[in-house]
Amino acid sequence: MNRIALAVRMARRELRGGLAGFRIFFACLVLGVAAIAGVGSVAQALLTGLADQGRVLLGGDVAVHLVHRETTANEHAFLAARGRVSETISMRAMAYALKNGAEADRQLIELKAVDGAYPLYGAVSLAPQISLRDAFACAADGGRMVCGAVVEQTLLDRLHLSRGGLMRIGSQDFRIAAVLANEPDRISGGFTLGPHVLMSDTGLARTGLVVLGSLIEYSYRVAMPANASIAEFKAEAQATFPDSGWEIADRNDAAPGIRKFVEQVTMFLTLVGLTALAVGGVGAGQAVGAFLDRKRAEIATLKSLGAEGGLIFLVYFFQVMAIAVVAVIVGLMCGAALPFGVEAAFGNELPIKAAFAIYAGPLVLGGIFGLFSAAAFAIPPLARAREIAPASLFRDIVAPVNARGRLSYLLASAGAALVVIALALVLAPSLSFAAYFLAGVAAALIVLRLAAEILRRVLMALPRPRQPNLRLALANLTRPGAATSSVVVALGLGLTLLATVTLLDRTISVQVKDSLPGTAPTFFFIDIQPDEIAAFDKDIAHFPTVSGYKSSPMIRGRIVALNGIAAKDAKVASDARWALNGDRGITYASVAPKDANIVEGKWWDANYRGPTLISFDADLAKGMGLKLGDSVALNVLGREIVGRIANLRDVDFSNGRQNFILILSPGIIDKAPHSFLASVRVESRDEEPLYRAITDKYPNVSTVRVKDAIAQVNGLLQELSDGVRAASLITILAGLFVLAGAIAAGQRARLYDSTVLKVLGATRAQIATVYAIEYGVIGVLTGLLALGAGTLAAWLVTRHVFEVPLTFDLRAVLLIVVGGGAATLSFGLVAAWAALAAKPAGLLRSP
Amino acid sequence: MHPPAAAIRLEDVRLTLASAAGPVNILAGVSLEIASGETVALLGPSGSGKSSLLMVAAGLEAPTSGRISVSGTDLTKLGEDALARFRRGAIGIVFQSFHLIPTMTALENVAVPLELSGARDAFARARAELDAVGLGPRVDHYPGQLSGGEQQRVALARAIAPRPAVLFADEPTGNLDGQTGADVADLLFALHERAKTTLFLVTHEETLARRCARIVRLKDGRIVADERSA
Repeated sequence: MNRIALAVRMARRELRGGLAGFRIFFACLVLGVAAIAGVGSVAQALLTGLADQGRVLLGGDVAVHLVHRETTANEHAFLAARGRVSETISMRAMAYALKNGAEADRQLIELKAVDGAYPLYGAVSLAPQISLRDAFACAADGGRMVCGAVVEQTLLDRLHLSRGGLMRIGSQDFRIAAVLANEPDRISGGFTLGPHVLMSDTGLARTGLVVLGSLIEYSYRVAMPANASIAEFKAEAQATFPDSGWEIADRNDAAPGIRKFVEQVTMFLTLVGLTALAVGGVGAGQAVGAFLDRKRAEIATLKSLGAEGGLIFLVYFFQVMAIAVVAVIVGLMCGAALPFGVEAAFGNELPIKAAFAIYAGPLVLGGIFGLFSAAAFAIPPLARAREIAPASLFRDIVAPVNARGRLSYLLASAGAALVVIALALVLAPSLSFAAYFLAGVAAALIVLRLAAEILRRVLMALPRPRQPNLRLALANLTRPGAATSSVVVALGLGLTLLATVTLLDRTISVQVKDSLPGTAPTFFFIDIQPDEIAAFDKDIAHFPTVSGYKSSPMIRGRIVALNGIAAKDAKVASDARWALNGDRGITYASVAPKDANIVEGKWWDANYRGPTLISFDADLAKGMGLKLGDSVALNVLGREIVGRIANLRDVDFSNGRQNFILILSPGIIDKAPHSFLASVRVESRDEEPLYRAITDKYPNVSTVRVKDAIAQVNGLLQELSDGVRAASLITILAGLFVLAGAIAAGQRARLYDSTVLKVLGATRAQIATVYAIEYGVIGVLTGLLALGAGTLAAWLVTRHVFEVPLTFDLRAVLLIVVGGGAATLSFGLVAAWAALAAKPAGLLRSP
Repeated sequence: MHPPAAAIRLEDVRLTLASAAGPVNILAGVSLEIASGETVALLGPSGSGKSSLLMVAAGLEAPTSGRISVSGTDLTKLGEDALARFRRGAIGIVFQSFHLIPTMTALENVAVPLELSGARDAFARARAELDAVGLGPRVDHYPGQLSGGEQQRVALARAIAPRPAVLFADEPTGNLDGQTGADVADLLFALHERAKTTLFLVTHEETLARRCARIVRLKDGRIVADERSA
C-alpha cells in the first residue's frame, strides 16, 4: 500500500513535466472513446424513444395481425373483452388518377382502411388539419358516391393531382381530402412499396378489392386498462385460440425491425470505435515508448537511488493512466454531447422521436473500453522501461536487458485486451459477427505488423542506390527508431477497413442492381383472382417481347410446427429462423416447376391427391434439422395443414424471380380461397404498353414495377453504405493521428539531418525530394498492403456470408492506394517544411 | 575479536561487454579492499575502466565474474530488485552529470531515497540536508532553476541523506568550473567527515585525488598502483 502511495506521489511529481509527447496518445483515446460512447448514447436515445412511444408506434398496447381473414366473432369478443379495439385493413392496390372522368396516371399504393376508433393512441397528422371522420366522409356526386381519402404528397406528385382531386381505387372513386403527413403507427408497418393512402373501412368495402384469398392483412389494436398484463393477454390468446394463426405484437417491442437495425448498426459502429482504439493503440504504444526513452536517465537515476523495477513500472503506469483517464473523460464528454448534436442536426428527420439525454450505460462502457485499451497498449513499453539498467547513466548504449519485458507484464497487457474483447463480444447482439470482425482486426494487425517487418528487412537488404536522394530516403525508412512500422500498421488498419467496406458495398450493389436485369422479371402482379387468371395469361402472352412469364397460385401461411414440435420451441439455426417468424407465401403444383432444382427426393405424381406432400427449401430444411419424410405443420387461414417433406429444392433467392420455400401437393391447399401471383419480363419498348394494358383491364390487380422496388432498396442500401463508409473514416482519422505522431517524434532527427545536409551543400529541393520519396513509399506500400488485406477480408465475407463472387473495383484501388499515399506524403511534407525552414547556424551553435 | 569488516571488497572482478566489434574487456581481474571510513580515489586516464569499476562496486552493473561485497553483503548474490533495496540505505552515489530529476524540486529530489526506504520524516530530513549544503532558501527550486554547482550540491545532499555506509562519487566536479568544483569538493569531504562514511571517488584530477587518504591507479582495466596519499 505504501509502495502504491509512493508511486502515486512520484508519478504526480513527474507529471509536472507536462503532456508533451502524449498528444497523439490523448487524441486517439479521445477519438475512440468519443466514438463508442457517442454511438452508444445515440442508440440508447433511439431505443429509449422506441420504448417510450411503443404504445403510439404500435397503435395500441397489443396488436393482433391476421393475413387473409378477419377475426371470428369469438376472437373479436375475446379482444373486445380486454380493452378498446380498433381494426385496420392493409393491402396493396392500384390508384388511378381521374381526369375528366377517365383513368389517367396510375400508381401502386399501400392502402390502409381504418375504423372509427383509429387511432387509439397518438394522432394522424393531416394538412389541412381536419378530422379523419370529415376527411373520409362519402357523399353523392353527380349520380355516384364519392368517398374521401387522405394520401401522401408523393402520390399527388406521381398522379399529377392536387388536393381535392379524384382517384379511383378498385371500383370506387375517392376525393383526396387532405395530405397525409404522418400516421402514428407507420413505423411498425415495415418496408413499403408505394405511397400510403388512408381511408375508412366503409370506403374500402366499396372498392370491391376485399376478396377472400387476396393478400390482405387485418390488424386489431387493443388499448388495455393500465393494470392489464400483456403477458397474460398473450398467454390467454394462445390458450383460447391455439389455431388462430395470429401474430401478436406488443408495445414493449413495437418496431422490432427498427430496434434490431439500431442494435446492429450500434454494434458495427462500436466495433469500428474499437478498431479506432486499436489503431490509436499502436500510436499510443509508440508514444509511451518514446516518452520512456526520454525518461531513460530519470528511470536509471531512480534505480540507482534504490527504486525497484516494480516501483518504476507503477510510477510510469500511473502517469500514463492518469493521462488516459483525462483523455477518457474528454472522450466521454464528447460522446455524451453527440446525441444533442444529432438532435440539433437531424432531430426532425428521424423516423421516431428519440429520447435525447445523457445515458450512463454507454458512457461506462466507453470508459471501460478506453481505459483497458490504453492499459493493453501501454503496458508492454512500460514493462521494457522497468528493465532499464541503472548503468545506462554511465554509458549510452548498454547491452539490452530482456528487451520484451517480463512475462507477467505481457500477460497483464493481454488480460486488459481480453477484457475489451470479451466485453465487446458479450454485448454484441450478434456474437458471430462481432467475433469475426474482431478476429479480422486482430488478423489485419498481425499481417500488417509482419508485412512492415518484411518490408523493413527487404529495404535494408536492397543494394544502396547510387542516386543520393533515393539512397537517403531508403536509409531514413530503415534507420533505428524509424516510424515505418507503426505508420504501416496504424494507417494500414484504417485503410484495410475502408477497402473491405468499399469492396463489399460495390459487390452488394452490383448484385442488387447489375446482376438482376439479366434474369429478373420486369413486373410482379399480385392478387389476380382465380376467375381472371386464364384471361390474364392470354393477355400477357399477347405482347411480343414477353419472356419468363410465370403465374402461381399463392396463399400466405405460417409454419407452426416441425415434426410435432411447436415452431417457437424448435431448435433452429439462426440463419433459418426468419422463415418461422410470420407468414410466408405458399403455392401448390401438380408437376415440378421448370426451374425447380430438386437436390433430394422426387416430385409427386401429377395425379397425386393423397395426404399433403411438401417440396421444401433445402438450405432451410438443413437449418431446421428437417429431412425427407419429416412433417411440417402450416397454419393457413386459421386451419392447420400438416404435410410430409417429399423433396428438397435448391432455391436461389438472388435471381429475383418467384421463389417459394414451400410448394405443396394439391388436394387440400387448393381448396382454400387464394389468388395468383404472376411475374413477367418484357423488353423496354413493351414495358409501358403492358403496364397500361394490364392496369386498365385489371384494376384489382396490384402491379409492382421491379425496378422501382429495386431503386428503393438500392436507395436504402446506398444510405447505409455511405454511413458505414463514413464510420470507417474514424479509423482512418486515428491512423492519420498516429502518422502525425510518428512524424512529430522523428522531427528532431529530421531537423538535424537537414541541417547537416544543408551544411554539406544540399538544396532545399533536394532535401524535400528525399522526404517525398520516403513518405510516398510508405504511403503507397501501406495502401497496397491495406488493399491486399481488405480484398482478402471482403472476399472471405462475400464468399462465405453472401455466397456471391467479389466485385473488384478499380476506383477503390485508386482511392485507397493513391489516397493513402497522398495523405502520408502531405503529412510528411508539412513536417519537412519546418525542417527545411531551419537555419543551419542556429542548430549548429546550440550544444 | 573480529577485525572490522571491509567497507568494500572486490575479488578478481572481471567485466566483459559485448559490442558490435566483438567482446570488450573492461575490467581484467580487479581485487581491492577498502576499509570502513577510508577515503579512496580511483585515478586513471579516460577509458581505463574507472566508471565501470564504480558501477560494479555500487551494484549498478553485474560483473562477468568475481566477487563484490559492500558492508559485508555479497552483491553478486543479489537480484536486481534486492540490489535496489540494498542501495537505498547502504550506498549513496554522486554523478558527474548530477542526474537530478527535472520534474522534482530540490527538496523532493533529496527526499526520494528517504521516501524509497519508507522514512516518515523524509521531507524534514531532506530540508535539513539542503540546509547543511547551504541551499536552505532554494528548496522549492527545480533543477532547471539552479546553477551547475547548486545542482551538484543538491545531488550531494541526496546521496548523503540516507546516511549510507559508502558514498560513491563519479567525477563529481567534472562538469563544474574551477572555483565551483573546489567548493563542491570541500563540501564532499566535509560531508564525509560529518557522516563518517567511506568515500570512493572516481576522478582524473590529481589534485582532487590527493585529498583522499589512498589513491588507486587504474589502467586498461587493471590496478597498476595503490598508494597512501602523502
